Amino acid sequence: MDRRAFLTTVAAGWVVDSILPGKAPIAGRIIGASHGVGHLVRDGGVPAPSGPPDRADVVIVGAGVAGLSAAWRLAPAGLDVRVLELESFLGGTSTWGDDGAAPHPWGAHYLAAPNPEARAALRLLEQMGVVKGWDAAGRPRFDPRVLCHAPQERIFYRGAWHPGLVPQDELDAHDRAEMERFSRFEDELTERVGADGKPVFQIPLAFSSRDPDTLALDRISMRAWLDREGYTSPFLRWYVRYACLDDFGAEPEEVSAWAALHYFAGRKLKTPELDGSHFLVWPEGNGKLVQALSERARATVTHGALVTSVGTSEGGRVEVRWLDVRDRVPRRTHARAVVVAAPAFVTARLFPAAAGRLPVRTSSPWVVSNMHVERPIDPDMAWDSVLYDAAGLGYVDARHQLTELSSRTVLTYYRAYGGPDVVGARKSLVVAPWEQIANDVLRDLAPAHPELREQISRMDVCVWGHAMPRPRPGFLGERPFEPLVLLDERVAWAHADQPGMALFEESQASGVRAAEAVAPALGVELGPSWL
Amino acid sequence: MTQQQPRRWVHPALLAMVAVIATSGLVYELVTGTLASYVLGDSVTQFSLVIGLYLFAMGIGSYLSKFLEDRLLERFVEIELCLALAGGLSAPLLFKVYTAAAAFRFALYGIVVLVGTLVGLEIPILIRLLQFSVDLKELVARVLSLDYVGALIASLLFPSLLLPKLGVHQTSLFFGLLNAAAAMLATFLFPLDRAVTIRLRAQCVLIFGVLAAVFGFVSRFVDRAETVYFGAPIIYTAQSPYQRVVITRSPRTTRLFLNGNLQFSSDDEQRYHEVLVHPAVAALGHDPKSVLVLGGGDGLAARELLRYPSIERIVLVDLDAAVTDAFRKLPVALELNGGALNDPRVTVRNEDAYKFLEDSRDSFDLAIVDFPDPSNYAVGKLYTDAFYHLLRERLSFRGVAVVQATSPQYARESFWTIVQTLEAAGWKTAPLHVYVPSFGDWGFVLAGGEHLTAPGALRIEPTKLRWLESSGLPELFRFPRDIGRVEAPVNRLNDQKLVAIYAREWGVFTR
Repeated sequence: MDRRAFLTTVAAGWVVDSILPGKAPIAGRIIGASHGVGHLVRDGGVPAPSGPPDRADVVIVGAGVAGLSAAWRLAPAGLDVRVLELESFLGGTSTWGDDGAAPHPWGAHYLAAPNPEARAALRLLEQMGVVKGWDAAGRPRFDPRVLCHAPQERIFYRGAWHPGLVPQDELDAHDRAEMERFSRFEDELTERVGADGKPVFQIPLAFSSRDPDTLALDRISMRAWLDREGYTSPFLRWYVRYACLDDFGAEPEEVSAWAALHYFAGRKLKTPELDGSHFLVWPEGNGKLVQALSERARATVTHGALVTSVGTSEGGRVEVRWLDVRDRVPRRTHARAVVVAAPAFVTARLFPAAAGRLPVRTSSPWVVSNMHVERPIDPDMAWDSVLYDAAGLGYVDARHQLTELSSRTVLTYYRAYGGPDVVGARKSLVVAPWEQIANDVLRDLAPAHPELREQISRMDVCVWGHAMPRPRPGFLGERPFEPLVLLDERVAWAHADQPGMALFEESQASGVRAAEAVAPALGVELGPSWL
Repeated sequence: MTQQQPRRWVHPALLAMVAVIATSGLVYELVTGTLASYVLGDSVTQFSLVIGLYLFAMGIGSYLSKFLEDRLLERFVEIELCLALAGGLSAPLLFKVYTAAAAFRFALYGIVVLVGTLVGLEIPILIRLLQFSVDLKELVARVLSLDYVGALIASLLFPSLLLPKLGVHQTSLFFGLLNAAAAMLATFLFPLDRAVTIRLRAQCVLIFGVLAAVFGFVSRFVDRAETVYFGAPIIYTAQSPYQRVVITRSPRTTRLFLNGNLQFSSDDEQRYHEVLVHPAVAALGHDPKSVLVLGGGDGLAARELLRYPSIERIVLVDLDAAVTDAFRKLPVALELNGGALNDPRVTVRNEDAYKFLEDSRDSFDLAIVDFPDPSNYAVGKLYTDAFYHLLRERLSFRGVAVVQATSPQYARESFWTIVQTLEAAGWKTAPLHVYVPSFGDWGFVLAGGEHLTAPGALRIEPTKLRWLESSGLPELFRFPRDIGRVEAPVNRLNDQKLVAIYAREWGVFTR
């Protein structure tokens, strides 16, 4: 069994095939977030409900990672939990697709092995069987099948693929010296402890040091930090830019240096098993985590539910008004507690009383495209294929973690709109027709894959107008690590906007925290915190 | 047509034509004889059968010539064309039907009789055609002597030039083309009706075109360089989605190649397969009942296993149906594996071994792991700690596994990486090695639970084996210093160090 020979053979068949005329053009559609319906709330076009309310113990607004985590945390209490979700899918930007040669991500596509402090994440992974046990030092042992298989990354630079994220053969002595200096700095920073005895960078963020010297890094951008530290190598600066776009969907000048350095110094687990890669990867990306949460959540999810307002607590109840977008009937549900698991700007509209206390976040728009490959495009595929000179970040191969050989696969392409004008980018993306986005993707990948149009049968695209919060310089604010959780006695807030960085552990922890915060109002005993 | 006086002179072009048809006649005989001996073995029997049958068929042809009366010239050209087609396509045709063993003999002798008959018709008709224009004494002397000269040319050219440079397929096709050209030449040498001439020439062009097309096609799928590369005639090829399967056979030896890499040679495969199977059975400490074979689609490991009467069930998982099908059907394969893959105790499953282990809930006493070497990431996955963990879950409490582990001589660190990886997955190991002349010093690893020890005696009567005996066991487990244990990493799914080590070590030898 030789993968290269196998793929070459199938490719040879394709060459013959492609000479024949009449090849159908690729198909595709735009899937994903319902911008039009969502903007009804902004534009105030929803009438008030008239019928009698239905009742639930808890209403959770939003079935993303935060909302489902709140439901997951409440599951042992055996309450009547209702999740109201606008979209037809679960998971928000961690959702996934099931059609085609393999399940594939529509957004977040990996989870770095969580630190021991990320207890909720490790609890879930243990429930999933991904954490197999614990070593003597209390560190988790992972199922090796889930850790990203070799080869992990490759980069397309000047007409050729190179292994890894940096084309090592192309570096000169200066580049090498700076890469080494940065790498030493990364290692040192990972180990560094602040004056308060806490690691300077930790995930979950709340466990990070409050050392003022370190927090001062939040006042400058990552680009300013690179300039200040005298990093000039184009490869090093490219690498840092790639990291900022990958994690936050933003250019280095748009990202707080404190946030960006988390990418490099926030992961503390060091075991021989994690030497090759510490990324946990499933074909459907973090969709696997969403499935695990929802399977264990014991909640009723209503899709197509556009929540229009969340009332204040009155007589031990909160009224949640929502529109059933399928029959356009306005409804209301009375709950003993509500978790609003939505971005800050949505939460401010649903619950205006808290508007002044919610942080103001900028969010990055993304385009994600799933390409259904019918013939192998490359025998030496890695999990993540990155392009040096491209508008997008590159693509991941959904079949990489599967052991069976197949000539068919699904490639997920990512492009972040990382500039300062997020509103302009969002507006043009929302109105762009499928053909335009598809052509942009094909053109972006053309230097590496000039024949791509002939090699794929379908390309679906998803425009995420508000994909993730952007930790701009100063995002930590006046009182860092003191998240706003309770908006009211019976209303809690959970979202990645709360810490301001879109990490699975953070979103999950915010949901768990919100669930635990409303437990007294519900009169249930949830036991020791899962955080 | 005007009646001419007999001449004492034969046109040189006519003589050339006679030489060509004589040479090609013998070449077809040699081609079929060669193919018969490759495929069926026993070359003396095959050659003598083919020659006898061929000469007999020529006699039939000569006899039948008397029934051809009218329009002899046309008949002659048509016979030439039939011969071009039958003789030219004989080798590719026989190669094609080889997979069906019974059909092969039938097709072989059928072609021999057909070609012989057509060749037998040629000379009598040619002589009758020329008898009025050339003096009979001169004619018989010239034509028959050239016929024998052609035979000499063929028998000299065939083994020295044609077979080594062109191979059987292209040789037979090349002489088919020459036959078609001779037919065309005949339409110029003999006066014929205009309409008939046009028809005959069109037929010549058509058949020439068909043969040329097959020639081009054959040269693509049976590369001449390949026979030189494989060092012996190819008797079977198949292209599966995963690899190219080639079986070669010289008078003494059958070899299997996958993607050009030698998998076994019938000369010494017994050393490899006996050491792969019997020490593991001995280490098991009881009679094995159920065995899992991963890889091993040639059925040779299964053949060794079936020597144990206690075995009730063998599940053989090999990705490639092209390999297992060939070794279930081809006569040469059945000769080697004794039909092991058709044994009712053996279940063949064509699926990915990793996937099989993940899905299976079965339990086995013994596992024989015989994959290709870890030369790429796709195969490398089958040498990781994660894979060996899964394998352990499929074995019974006292179960034993044996793993093919490349050569400790050429790839010492690779070999010990595999040992290290098995140990990291919680196995106790007992490495062993054997000298296989075709491969060099070759390594395997016995793996089992805490109880595992290197076995002191075989659990099979030595007379049932060809090479291994109990007294030779200790030597297998002794590693001299130059191939002894070195420090080696664990091969993991997320860090396939083995693939890089293997490429570095074997790269030295293949460069």
